[in-house]
Amino acid sequence: MKLQAHGIETDLPPGWEGRIALRKAPGATAAANDSTAARAAGTLGEVPNPVVHLANFALPEDRGDFGSGAVDLMTEADVMVVLFEYGPEAVGKALFKRKGIPTNLTPNMFSSSALQRTLPGQAGCQVFFTVEDRAFCCYTVLGRQSAANRVLPQANATLAATRISRR
Amino acid sequence: MTVVVVIEGVVVAVLALLVVGLLRSHAEILKRLHELGAGLDATPAQSQPMSAAGPRPGRDFNVMPQVPSPPDREAFGGSADLAGIGAGGSEAVTVRVNGVEHDTIVAFLSSGCITCQKFWDAFRKPRKLGLPAGTRLVVVTKGADAESPSEVAKLAPPGIPTLMSTEAFAAYDVPGSPYFVQVHGPTGRVKGEGTGPDWDQVSGLLSQATGDAELVASLAGSMVAKPDADAEREARIDRELFDAGVAPGDASLYTVDGAHEHDHDDHAGHDHG
Repeated sequence: MKLQAHGIETDLPPGWEGRIALRKAPGATAAANDSTAARAAGTLGEVPNPVVHLANFALPEDRGDFGSGAVDLMTEADVMVVLFEYGPEAVGKALFKRKGIPTNLTPNMFSSSALQRTLPGQAGCQVFFTVEDRAFCCYTVLGRQSAANRVLPQANATLAATRISRR
Repeated sequence: MTVVVVIEGVVVAVLALLVVGLLRSHAEILKRLHELGAGLDATPAQSQPMSAAGPRPGRDFNVMPQVPSPPDREAFGGSADLAGIGAGGSEAVTVRVNGVEHDTIVAFLSSGCITCQKFWDAFRKPRKLGLPAGTRLVVVTKGADAESPSEVAKLAPPGIPTLMSTEAFAAYDVPGSPYFVQVHGPTGRVKGEGTGPDWDQVSGLLSQATGDAELVASLAGSMVAKPDADAEREARIDRELFDAGVAPGDASLYTVDGAHEHDHDDHAGHDHG
């Protein structure tokens, strides 16, 4: 199933669903009607960048940029991938020196200490990268760290099917 | 004497009038019943043949003016995963309906129709909807070619996935809005579909179509849990069959391979002895 917006395109495998949205800025007109705005509020005057949420479970609508609200619902077999774009000022910084979308996440890259929000049994991984002069963080959460070998091939396949084009 | 005869004559005339009236009334009732297809002691040969396509809206019955007529087909329609833009138009959204553990109720609504407004309002209080356990509600409107994203954004109920996709209306063969389709997640089979003037009626309709949800829930509570290995094996087999195009109720599930071969052998005149 194809998902495409804001110069990001992916082809989701069976069982996966996703969203590509612009990060909501404070004062956005839709904020009053969008419950995600409460969790995903940016800074005043910020130029909103895209945030991609891909998961092999039903994504709740009330989600934060890095998956808060969704990770709480994850079970053992669940995995969630977030692609969070930073502004153009981040391009060229050492943190984003890696080129291209990571497509080979391995179990040893995951740790509970990498989680934005620590939940029992879960593990996370952050990879910062640049592609087409756009700086991203790929944040992946496993519903259960011990299931990494089982679910990571799905996450890697999803990332491999993702394309980011120049703005 | 003359007075008595006159009185009797008047009484007889009144009674005759009454009888004629009753006969006319009876005839009218019989005529109406006949028009409705009912008949006492009607043999199959005398009765009207049943249309193969079943009752049709406008011909056999009328729907309420504020809801769309059902589609002109015998069975439930198909289901498909949903892809479109989010309410507001800036978000790309996909929602998986097939091949998932949960069931999905897809609510096809419009920002313009008056009846839909009741559903938009009802969906703002999801806890009062009484959705069956393990059921996800998704709202779909037509795409930006037919709806205003800003209007849909104003109506979109918080916490409920809302997407705009004209393609989804076609994929589900939706006759108009409001319209509702309940899909069994693991198989993608449509469990029920229809419409109504408010959520209570639609909810009742879907409950009827899918069985008594409360009974199922109470039975589920008293069920002995299956071993994980059995459950996984069953799920895997279901998935593989579904991927191979074998859905629940498929004739091949009730066919014994040997029976076919045996028939073939008999026709061929082979000797089994």
